[in-house]
Amino acid sequence: MTIVPKVLVTKIGLDGHDRGSRIVTAALRDAGMEVIYTPPWQEIASVVKLVLEEDVDVIGISSLATDHLIVPKLIEALAAAGLAHKPVIVGGIVPDSDARALEAAGVARVFHPGSAMQDIVNYIRAAAERSRAAAYPV
Amino acid sequence: MPATDQERLAREVALARGGDRGALSRALTLIENGALVSTAMSAEWQGAAGHGHRIGLTGAPGAGKSTLASALIGEFLHRDRSIAVLAVDPSSPLTGGAVLGDRVRMSAHADDPRVFIRSMASRGNPGGIAAATGVCALLLAGCHYDIVLIETVGTGQSEVAIVRAADTIIVVVPPGAGDEVQALKAGVLEIAHVLVVSKSDLPAAARTASELSSSLALRAGRRGDVPVVQVSGLTDQGIKALVDALENQRKANADSSLHL
Amino acid sequence: MNRSVEAPVLDAAAARQWQREYDAQIGEDRVTANRSGIPVKALYSPADWDGTRYLDDLGYPGQPPFTRGIYPTMHRGRTWTQRQLVGLGTPTDYNLRLKELLGQGITAVSLIPCNSVFRGYDMDETHAELLGTCGTVINHAGHMDEALAGVDLARVSCAMNDPSPFTLLAFLLVTARRRGVDWREVTGTSNQSDYLSHFVANHMFYRLANAGARRVLVDQIAFAIEHVPKWNPMSVVGQHTQQAGATPAEAAAFTLATAIQNGEDCIARGLDPDRFLPRFTFFFDISVSFFEEIAKFRAMRRLWGRITRERLGARTPSSWRFKFHGQTSGADLTRQQPLNNVARVTVQAMAGIFGGLQSLHTDAYDEAVSCPTEAGARIAIATQNILKEEAHLTDVIDPLGGSYYVEAMTDAMEAEIARVMAKIDAAGGMYAAAESGLVQRMIGESALRFQRQVDAGEQTIVGVNRYMVADDTVSPGQPKPDPEAMKRHLASFRHWKDARDGAGVKRALDALARAAESPHDNVMAEIVNAAEAQVTHGEICACLRNVYGFGKPLVAV
Repeated sequence: MTIVPKVLVTKIGLDGHDRGSRIVTAALRDAGMEVIYTPPWQEIASVVKLVLEEDVDVIGISSLATDHLIVPKLIEALAAAGLAHKPVIVGGIVPDSDARALEAAGVARVFHPGSAMQDIVNYIRAAAERSRAAAYPV
Repeated sequence: MPATDQERLAREVALARGGDRGALSRALTLIENGALVSTAMSAEWQGAAGHGHRIGLTGAPGAGKSTLASALIGEFLHRDRSIAVLAVDPSSPLTGGAVLGDRVRMSAHADDPRVFIRSMASRGNPGGIAAATGVCALLLAGCHYDIVLIETVGTGQSEVAIVRAADTIIVVVPPGAGDEVQALKAGVLEIAHVLVVSKSDLPAAARTASELSSSLALRAGRRGDVPVVQVSGLTDQGIKALVDALENQRKANADSSLHL
Repeated sequence: MNRSVEAPVLDAAAARQWQREYDAQIGEDRVTANRSGIPVKALYSPADWDGTRYLDDLGYPGQPPFTRGIYPTMHRGRTWTQRQLVGLGTPTDYNLRLKELLGQGITAVSLIPCNSVFRGYDMDETHAELLGTCGTVINHAGHMDEALAGVDLARVSCAMNDPSPFTLLAFLLVTARRRGVDWREVTGTSNQSDYLSHFVANHMFYRLANAGARRVLVDQIAFAIEHVPKWNPMSVVGQHTQQAGATPAEAAAFTLATAIQNGEDCIARGLDPDRFLPRFTFFFDISVSFFEEIAKFRAMRRLWGRITRERLGARTPSSWRFKFHGQTSGADLTRQQPLNNVARVTVQAMAGIFGGLQSLHTDAYDEAVSCPTEAGARIAIATQNILKEEAHLTDVIDPLGGSYYVEAMTDAMEAEIARVMAKIDAAGGMYAAAESGLVQRMIGESALRFQRQVDAGEQTIVGVNRYMVADDTVSPGQPKPDPEAMKRHLASFRHWKDARDGAGVKRALDALARAAESPHDNVMAEIVNAAEAQVTHGEICACLRNVYGFGKPLVAV
C-alpha cells in the first residue's frame, strides 16, 4: 500500500494566532503530504471525531498562549476513542517544564519557536509512516 | 502472517457494516491507498437493503458548492437522514500534496453523530475526483448511510468519473452574465440530473435559471426533465425543494433498479 | 562595478574616487533590501535627498506635514506614556501587580483580560486550566472595580484590551459612576477596537461577525465622543498584521486603509470627522529592522495628515495628528538564548522613540518562552528609563531628521505604503478586501517569504540559524495563577450570579438584543446599561453573537 501521510493541523483552546500553523501546513503540502487544516477553537470532541473519520496519521496541535495546558485532555479523549496509537505533536510556545509534562502525558514531541521547518517536516513524515505502518502492517 | 490488504479490507468492511465507524474509516484508507475491491465485494455493497443515495455535487470553483453542501446536510438532518460526505480537494500537481479544507466549511454539522465526513485528495486524477472515490462512495452507501454526498473540485468540464460515482449529479452554477452560462461546456449539461443556481438572493439568479432552462430545452432526449432549482445559502430559499427533487430521484432510481 | 551601489553625484571627482575605492575594497558585495522589499544602498547622500524642500517634506514638529512629530515639544516636553501591558489571574492579583508597576515608574494602566474573556466567555464557560494564565479574569463590573482599586480614574489613563462589544469599557464606566467620577474625566483607549485586524490576523480577539462588529464599533465611537469625550474609542491596530507576517509597509497600509474605512463608516453615520478623528489612535508593532521602522512611522505621519484632510474632510489640526502606541515586536524574540532579547527590545524601543511614538510597551525578554515573568517585566521598564534618562534620547526632537538615508527611506516607505493602499482601494476598501481574502493572502505570502529567507539562512536569527550554542539557557517557566485563588474566584462568581436580580438581568439583555436588531439604536448605550444591571461579560457577548453571528475568520493556507 502506498503511503501518503495524512496530517491534522489544528488548534484547541482559546488562542487565535495562525501564522505558524499556516506555514507548517504549507510546508507539509509542499513536501507531498495531505493536510487537514482547521480554524482555531476546535472542541476536543470534534477533534476526536475528525481523527476517527479522517484516519489521519499524525495530529498536530498549534499552541500559543497556554493552550497546551489542555492537550492532556485531548490525549485522554483520543485514548478513550481507541485512537491512542496516533501520535500527537505540539508546536508553539511551551515552557520547558510544561514540555516535559506534556511528553509524560503522551505527547510525542514538542516543537518550540525557532525550530527549523525541515526538521518539523521530516519528523512528521517519519511519524506518519511509523503510525501508518503500525496500523496497517505490510 | 500479515494479512493482505484484501483480507484486511474484508475484515474492516464486515465490522463497518455492523456500525463500527473506526473500521469504516480504516476501510476507506485501504481503498484510497490501493487495496483492490473485487466485483463480488462491491456488488454485495450495492445489493444491500437500504442502499444509500449517492449524490455528486460539482461546479466551478466559487460556484457555491460548499455552502450548498452544508445547507443540504442541514435539511437532510432535519428529515432525520444519515449522511456521509466525501469531500475531494485538488492535489498539487507540483508536489503531490494537498490542503483538505472542505471539511471545515461544513463545520456546522460535522459534530452530528449522523454525519460522517471524509476528506480526500484528487491525487492527480484529471476528472477532479480521486480514482478511489467511487468505490468509497459505494462502501459508504452500503454501510447504511442514507445519503452519500460527493463534493468535488469542479471545472465545469465533463467529469466522467462523477457519472460513475454518483446516482444523481447536481451541477452548481453561480448567477452571472449570459456568456458564463454559454461558456459551460456541453458535458456539464449532459451529466446533470439537477441544475442548481446558487446565491439566488442576487438579482442575476433568475435570469441565469431561465437561460439554463432554455439551453436544456434545446437538447434532444432526456434533458427536458432536468429541474433547474434556485437556492440561496443566505435565505435557505430552494433547499427544501431541492431535497424533495433529490428524494424523487432516489425513488425513481430504486424503481428502475438501475445501478451504475 | 557592483550593482547595488550607485555613486552619488555631487562632486564628480570625489564620488568617482569613493566608488573606485569601495569597489576595490568591498570584495563580494551583498544586495540588501529591508523587510518591505525596498533596496538599501551602501551610502546615501544629497543625491538621494537634498533637503531643499524642508517645509514641504519635513516641516516643523506639530505642523503639516508632521514628518518630524505631531506635537511641537514631542518627548522633550512630555515623555511617551510608559504603558506596560499587565494581566494575570484574579482581579486582586492584577491590582497588586499594577501597584508594583506604578511604583516602578509606569504612568498609565493597560489591562489585559484572560484569553477566555477575549473569546467572549465567562469563567464558568471554558476550560478551568486556561483561566488567568495570560490575563486577568474579569466578568462583571465588580471585578473591574477590584482590579482598579486605588487607581484614580479621573487622573490615570486606562487602556482596555477590549474587542467589540467593549464590555471592559462598559465595566470601567460603571465603576467610574459608582465611584462618583464624572465620565467626562475618564481617559484611556479601547485597545483592540479594530475588528478587521482580528478578522484578518489575530483571531483570538475576533468575536462578532464582521457586519455586527462594524455596527457596534461605530455605536461605540458615537457613544464615546458624546459621553466620554477624553476616551479614545478607536485604536487601529497595525501590530496584528505585522506579527502575522505582513511587511512593515503592508502593515502600515492595511492600518491606514482600516482607519479610512472606519472613518468613512463614522461619516456615513453622520458623525463629524473633527469630533471623532482626534480620538483615533494607532497601535503598532516595532520590529528590529531599525531604520525601516523609523521611516515607517515618519511616513505614516505624513500620509495620515493628508488622508484626514483630503479623504475624510477634517479641518482642525487635532484631527490630522497620527497618534500611536508602539509595542516592541514579540515576533522577533527568540526562545534560544533569551537574554539576547533584551538587546532586541532595546533596538526596537529606540526605533519607536526615534519614530516619534506617544506611548510605548517594551516586551519582557522571556516573552517567547511564556507569559512574562516579573523579572522580565522589570528589565523591560528599566530599558525605557535607561534610554530616556541615561542615553538622553529625548533631548532632541526627531534627531534623525535630515539624515540622507532616513529621509530617502521615509520617502520610499511612503511610496510603498501608498502602493499597497491603492490595491486595497481597488478591492473596494479594507472591509471588502478583508472579506474577499485579499489581505490574508498578502499577509500569508509575506510570512512565507520571510520564513524561506530564514530557512535558507539569508536572514540571520541569532541563536536560531546562526551563532547557536548547544546549551541554551531558558527561563524557569511561566508564572501561573494560584489555582486556589482561581477556584475561589470561580466559586464567588457563581455565588454572585445566584444572588443577582435575575429579572433585571433578563430585562437588560432583552433591551440589548432589541437595540442590536434595530438599526437606529446605540448598542453601546445598552451594553453599558446591561453592565450596570449586573449582566456578565459572557452574557453580553452571547446576546450579540446571537444577533450578529459568531465571528469566524476566513481559513486558508
